Amino acid sequence: MASSTGLSLKFSPLSTSFKQNKVLLRGICNVNSVSLPSRGMRLGSLRLRVSCAAKPETVDKVCSIVRKQLALPKDSPVTGESKFSALGADSLDTVEIVMGLEEEFGISVEEESAQHILTVQDAADLIEKLVEQKSA
Amino acid sequence: MAVPGAVVPMRIEVLHLYRTLLRVGRQFSDYNIGEYSKRRTMDAFRDNKNLTDTRLLSAAFSDGKAQLEVAKKQAIVYSLYAPKVKSILDF
Repeated sequence: MASSTGLSLKFSPLSTSFKQNKVLLRGICNVNSVSLPSRGMRLGSLRLRVSCAAKPETVDKVCSIVRKQLALPKDSPVTGESKFSALGADSLDTVEIVMGLEEEFGISVEEESAQHILTVQDAADLIEKLVEQKSA
Repeated sequence: MAVPGAVVPMRIEVLHLYRTLLRVGRQFSDYNIGEYSKRRTMDAFRDNKNLTDTRLLSAAFSDGKAQLEVAKKQAIVYSLYAPKVKSILDF
């Protein structure tokens, strides 16, 4: 009980959008199902959930860069869940998008990590992690 | 010149070459040559996107690798003679 309330306290300042709440609810549900086996494991998965959520501003910036690269109209649906392949990007476009993100955020994405970026959310999460590492 | 049984590059290798070429293009201190490098790699990779013939594939890949070597050397040479003021186009 204490752990789940702790979770909700940590999360509420981070986001206000409904979509983000949906992701968080999913996160909370997952944690509850894992919490039964052992206490130690619960804390580990709690920490994982917190670091997964990227700020909405980051996601928005990523979306605008993706729109520009793929020349999508302004009102086309691009969200955190959008896969690059579904938006009409081939692998070359994905490489160019990642390069554009590197320039925009001043980070350097390694080859390994870059290959696993499939959705806008993946990109935003990786960016947040790298920005955090850079400023640390 | 054609090597019999030339190695066909894997998708990952091709994408790695693409990324490396774009990075080198970014390193150029001269805006014009940097933009040209990036534009040229994008055009070349898109033109050859649908190749299926193994000989053409390996030829294009080795061509790309040779161009990468040239670009890396040129990036160093250009930086030796970089102008003191950035180009007006560089934003």
